[in-house]
Amino acid sequence: MTIKHLFGATALSFFLTTSAFAESATLDLVEPIAEYKIYVSEKLEKLVEDTTAFTAAVKAGDVAKAKALFAPTRLSYEAIEPIAELFSDLDVAIDSRADDYEKAEADPEFPGFHRIEYGLWEKNSTAELGPVADKLLADVTELSKRINDLTFPPEKVVGGAAVLMEEVAATKISGEEDRYSHTDLWDFRGNFDGAYKIVELVRPLIEKKEGAFLKTVDANFAKVDTILAKYKEGDGYVTYEKLTEDDRKVLSTAVNTLAEDLSTLRGKLGLD
Amino acid sequence: MSNPGSATRPSRLMPLAVAGAAALAVAGGTLFYYAAKTAKGPEKGAVYTVTVNAKGCEPNTLTVPAGRTTFEIVNASDRTLEWEILDGVMVVEERENIAPGFRSSLTAKLNPGTFEIACGLLSNPRGTLTVTPSASSEAEKTKPPLKAFIGPLSEYRVYIGLQSSALVKDTQKLADAIKAGDLNGARLAYVAARLPYKRIESVSSRIADLENRIDPVAAYFEKREDDPGFAGFHRIEYGLYSLNSTDGLAPFADALVADVTALKARLKEMKLVPEDLATSAARQARRLAEDTVPNGDNRYGFTDLADFTANLDGMEKSVSLLYPLIEVAKPDVAKAVKDGFADTRAALVMSGNASYQTVDTATRKKLSAAFTTLAERIETINTAIGME
Repeated sequence: MTIKHLFGATALSFFLTTSAFAESATLDLVEPIAEYKIYVSEKLEKLVEDTTAFTAAVKAGDVAKAKALFAPTRLSYEAIEPIAELFSDLDVAIDSRADDYEKAEADPEFPGFHRIEYGLWEKNSTAELGPVADKLLADVTELSKRINDLTFPPEKVVGGAAVLMEEVAATKISGEEDRYSHTDLWDFRGNFDGAYKIVELVRPLIEKKEGAFLKTVDANFAKVDTILAKYKEGDGYVTYEKLTEDDRKVLSTAVNTLAEDLSTLRGKLGLD
Repeated sequence: MSNPGSATRPSRLMPLAVAGAAALAVAGGTLFYYAAKTAKGPEKGAVYTVTVNAKGCEPNTLTVPAGRTTFEIVNASDRTLEWEILDGVMVVEERENIAPGFRSSLTAKLNPGTFEIACGLLSNPRGTLTVTPSASSEAEKTKPPLKAFIGPLSEYRVYIGLQSSALVKDTQKLADAIKAGDLNGARLAYVAARLPYKRIESVSSRIADLENRIDPVAAYFEKREDDPGFAGFHRIEYGLYSLNSTDGLAPFADALVADVTALKARLKEMKLVPEDLATSAARQARRLAEDTVPNGDNRYGFTDLADFTANLDGMEKSVSLLYPLIEVAKPDVAKAVKDGFADTRAALVMSGNASYQTVDTATRKKLSAAFTTLAERIETINTAIGME
């Protein structure tokens, strides 16, 4: 082992946590993983229902209604993203950004939620969105079917908490994800809820040994929750542009710390 | 602290490095050596660098041994990118949101096989990752670690939960039809309510007290049908099919609803171990072969074929959750078990949904034989995957 490695994860986790030895996974994880699947199934049911209404509004040419339904519909998707994005074809079809395509927004291949978002906000129109809406509903329905048939890999579930916070850090705090509608705070909430759920489900398994860790994680979750609450409006959130620079910084620090901390969860549960 | 699965953006690494240096300074050389030798944290394995440019991955073809491997992904394109290892459409591992000019590290424990790698723009050609068997991956084939069973057991737990909820709901419908005096509706509801019960019978039959209240046949009681203790599904069946009436069945239906509700709660508390997925199915197949198929359980309505199909569905659910492990360990065992299910299903389909009264002894014998063969094959599973 070189000195360079000591700045990396392995040695640091030795010094900064009390457990020097890798944990072994136990069958105590069966119940939380099963409960998580039930949680995901309920979110999927809501996603299909909401996407049906959202795409119907798009197809009816009702721009105002479609705009109003866009962010709430995405909420369920964002909460279950660690599982939803296991299917690469559907992840691309449902949630890819213009950057993934050679001609960006002008690329005829650009699909899904963000293609519709682009039309609704940038063009203020539902023109040409009918087929995109049909495809989105078909893809979301297919996603629901595939996930219901999926045996959830425990390391993806537990690792999902960190993945969600990394997702927030990389795409929501910057306002990159919903760049046309600026509804990023809704997605943020979905990611936050999804990550928190995972921590809640595994909490009983680690609370005896990892009290200090959970205290830090809870404090950061609370910090994020408090700031998000300031921007609540009706059932959702104000536009991302209203987020103050100070709050953005506090969120960024808390979310990055959460991402780092939660990335040790797999190891703590013997899933590395 | 970042685990092997997390991206380390340079901006986030810095404070950690400082903290690490401080910790090291305090800890001193002896402890440092101890940590290096014994910390069983995630190792990185061999490190491979993959550069993604505007046109794809460089290199575009990689061969690595199974086990822990680290990929350093360098984004040399001008777009934020996502790097993925794909097995068909399924993402095995991925690193998202790598900004132009940045690098990200991904450590994964890979199993042998051939995978695709996604390389930037969706229109770019995909690369190939070949993972060759290693000594440890060969050893894990026939003796998977305990954590390999968490997914299957969780999935089976979800299945039991869904079926027991359906059982409560469908039994309530049966009670409602009985109370409405709807004989035909009650008969249909009877057949329907038994299906979820039969799908989970291989585990619920372990809860003896409730099974004896929910599903006993009259032959178990001294005075048979006239015995005051005769209750449960078959008491209701006796009323609906032999006495052709819903009269007097309401108390039995209410008791049955209470018992299946209790069963649902007890199943939620039940803790299954990996061996159970195969052994409970094998035990169920034997019970069918030796008793239920020759004699029939529904002596008044003769709806047994529907029961058997539901039994088979439930057994196949638990056993099929082990297929990914068996296929790797002993492909011949996997094939034999799958064939066993297909043959048994074919034998059932041949009888259609006939009244079991009309199914003759020779056909019952064939069906019994199919369940016996199936049981024998399922019984080889646990040895094949290193559990016995």
